[in-house]
Amino acid sequence: MTTTVIEESFRPGELEVRPDGTGNLLGSRCRSCGAHFFPTREACAGCLSQDLDAVKFSTEGVLYTYSVVRQSTPAFEVPYAIGYVDFPEGVRIMGQIAGLEFDEITIGMPMTLSLEPFGENEEGDPLTGYRFRPAEVTND
Amino acid sequence: MTDVHVVGVGMTRFGKHPDKDATDLGAAALLEAVADAGIDPRIIESAYVGHVFQGMVTGQRILAQVGLAGLPLSNVENACSSGATAIREASLAIRAGENDVVVAVGTEHLTSKFSGALTPDPSDPEAAVGATMPGVYAMRATRYMEDHGMTREQLALIPVKNKANAARNPLAHFRKEITVADVLESRPIADPLNLHDCSPVTDGAAAVIVMSDRAAKKYANGRGVRLAASALRSGSVDVTPTSMTFEPLTWATAQDAYERAGIGPDEVDFAEVHDCFSIAEVLRVEGLGLFEQGSYPWAVERGEADINGRLPINPSGGLIGKGHPLGGTGVAQVVELVRQLRGEAGDRQIEGAKVGLAHCRGGKAVGIEGAACTVQILIR
Repeated sequence: MTTTVIEESFRPGELEVRPDGTGNLLGSRCRSCGAHFFPTREACAGCLSQDLDAVKFSTEGVLYTYSVVRQSTPAFEVPYAIGYVDFPEGVRIMGQIAGLEFDEITIGMPMTLSLEPFGENEEGDPLTGYRFRPAEVTND
Repeated sequence: MTDVHVVGVGMTRFGKHPDKDATDLGAAALLEAVADAGIDPRIIESAYVGHVFQGMVTGQRILAQVGLAGLPLSNVENACSSGATAIREASLAIRAGENDVVVAVGTEHLTSKFSGALTPDPSDPEAAVGATMPGVYAMRATRYMEDHGMTREQLALIPVKNKANAARNPLAHFRKEITVADVLESRPIADPLNLHDCSPVTDGAAAVIVMSDRAAKKYANGRGVRLAASALRSGSVDVTPTSMTFEPLTWATAQDAYERAGIGPDEVDFAEVHDCFSIAEVLRVEGLGLFEQGSYPWAVERGEADINGRLPINPSGGLIGKGHPLGGTGVAQVVELVRQLRGEAGDRQIEGAKVGLAHCRGGKAVGIEGAACTVQILIR
């Protein structure tokens, strides 16, 4: 489904890309109260502690909601689906949805993080970003 | 501490103004507000000017155009709440005792800056993966339908209502009534939202002159309307993900405003709320406590939000019908409140209205529920 990608992360502070093509979304975890944040924060919004760890989020979550965008900026070819996925650490992260017909997308679906070519840098070199794909393929 | 009174209001026609810029529009609105107040403009002591995409010192350009250069002036940016924030700043200058007569202007020439879908700032992680403002609201609509069983047809009744109101507003961007079928058949923007569910790209400006008790006594001639509250908050970071079909930011800002005004939501006679999209009106009025959570689509169906209904919402046409020139929007809402409360709203007059509420919300930043929110309450 996904080819091996080793290009630079499209946003290195938010997405770690490893040479084997795997990666994680990145954020912060409060060492004081345990709250998680995406993207990284300097202080915890819950308890104001500044003692935060860098954290890699799980790659599997649940689709909270979605839409199919049919008008966008020139940077994105329409139509494309976007959605918010709730991850077990307690963060909700937006991304594009791939691997499904638009009318197959359903609230509550298990989704998985997929690292994929996503745009290019100022030199025109391809970058690696992420999309969400269905975590299980239904065979019917 | 003195109360704050809105004594003069002015507003350009909202729509496309290819022959003008944000300065021209702001100057025209300001001059109309001065004429409406019936004052010598030289008594104005300071100015706050809200705009988003118009560049540096647009406020100074406006004042220079009308002969008022030299006043203390702040340009105010708070996304779609910029104009409303300018009014709040003006009201604070009065309450602090620093000034007796202050002008707040909101202006935007959006057609020369944008076409199509507005997006968050490109630095935002959500913009980087393709978030558009219609897309974000569309996702909230999808979830509201899931949570509360709202139908697509019910959602379409909101633009139908607001464009019917706009048809009665000579300053509105759109002057044509539409049907549910028109909404459902209009161009898809971000499912389930279509073109008619979205506020348009609009040019326009509005201005209000606010005064202290002392100045209002001298200059208002009985036409002043009391600005009983002007509340502002910014969105907080979610510690855990919360429902996207309720707005804690709108709720908290409204509580500040109700407390300051000494009223509850049940005493509000009508409201102008930030209906940047059809679903937004649902989320606003429920967040303001004007309607129960999960109830508004059914209330609209029963006509409760119509101009002659129990609690008229967006009698001006709202952002969807009247138009949405970002910086101009929050000031224009207060212009509508004043005209309604003075009984000067013509074909869209709400009978006997005494308490009006204006709500703005603007901006998107990752991880926070909303960027800037204002709630203003005017009482006649």
